[in-house]
Amino acid sequence: MTSAIPTLETERLILRPWTPADAAPFAIMCADAELMRYVGGVMDQTNAWRRMAVYVGHWTLRGYGPWALQDKASGQLAGYSGVYDPDGWPEREINWGLARPFLGRGLVTEAATRVRTYAYETLGFKTIVSCIDMDNKPSQAVAVRLGAKLDRTVPFLGSQFGVFRHLPPGVVP
Amino acid sequence: MTSITIPTLETERLILRGWRNSDFDGYAELIGDASSTFIGGPLSREDAWRKMATLAGHWTLRGFGSFVIEEKSGGAFAGYCGPWFPLGFPEQELGWGLVAASRGKGIATEAVTCVRRHVYDQLKWPTAVSFIAPQNTPSLRVAERLKARLDGTTEIRGKMCQIWRHPSPSELATQR
Repeated sequence: MTSAIPTLETERLILRPWTPADAAPFAIMCADAELMRYVGGVMDQTNAWRRMAVYVGHWTLRGYGPWALQDKASGQLAGYSGVYDPDGWPEREINWGLARPFLGRGLVTEAATRVRTYAYETLGFKTIVSCIDMDNKPSQAVAVRLGAKLDRTVPFLGSQFGVFRHLPPGVVP
Repeated sequence: MTSITIPTLETERLILRGWRNSDFDGYAELIGDASSTFIGGPLSREDAWRKMATLAGHWTLRGFGSFVIEEKSGGAFAGYCGPWFPLGFPEQELGWGLVAASRGKGIATEAVTCVRRHVYDQLKWPTAVSFIAPQNTPSLRVAERLKARLDGTTEIRGKMCQIWRHPSPSELATQR
């Protein structure tokens, strides 16, 4: 049995498969209280490794999943983004998260735009959302910048989440 | 593209293979069962899916991982067994877990015997252990049946476990 993860590229990022070397920088992200506030809270190194393994195994089980984002300029792990759909999720979504040094430069928008194209053109999805905590204003701003619109709110993971529906295939620039 | 190929192993009664999404109902039953406290359960279906994804993702991150156990007769998901070495573990272990319907038939012993040979012959592990809670009587019996020996205790994610060390590759060779 073989599972393969493709590599994609944008102007400033490489969307690539996870490697063991991502564990250390990913653990730094997962220990940052502000970054983790709306995505499950801070985690120690061992739980960060397991979260990374979930992203990797997601590809095996679903055939798609979150990529590691590599900053072309520095070669560093900038964050993650991809199609995320674990059991019990409101809908298949585009998820994202950035490491602290990479915030505020439009990198999430760049990555998520590429993921959206992949979801429509390669996976053949007709629609996709992003599920965002209603208190998570920075991520909502990204969703809006991507052209997504609030579809509904759902009680989820002990909080209230907005289901932001992305622009449909064909409308995407 | 990067890819990992997961081998399929075979014993008299069992197929040992990579994880598939269709294993989820079986795994959710296994890890949702009240008796799964010694293998990280019981978990809700949502948490079970993520745990199963962790087991699958382990293969890519480590180059080895656990196998799904399928019974040849009937083809049902019987459980899982094999290497487990997440970050923070004191050493590489062989773990296992079975659904209720597959217990009491020697399936764990048969499966672990096969993966133990696999990790020695193919992965060149010099030694292998299994971490077992002292209250986990069924797994202690499996360890004894596999000729593993008690080799101290250790703490795994806040719980005290016994270290059961398997016969080494050379000890196994003389037993064959």
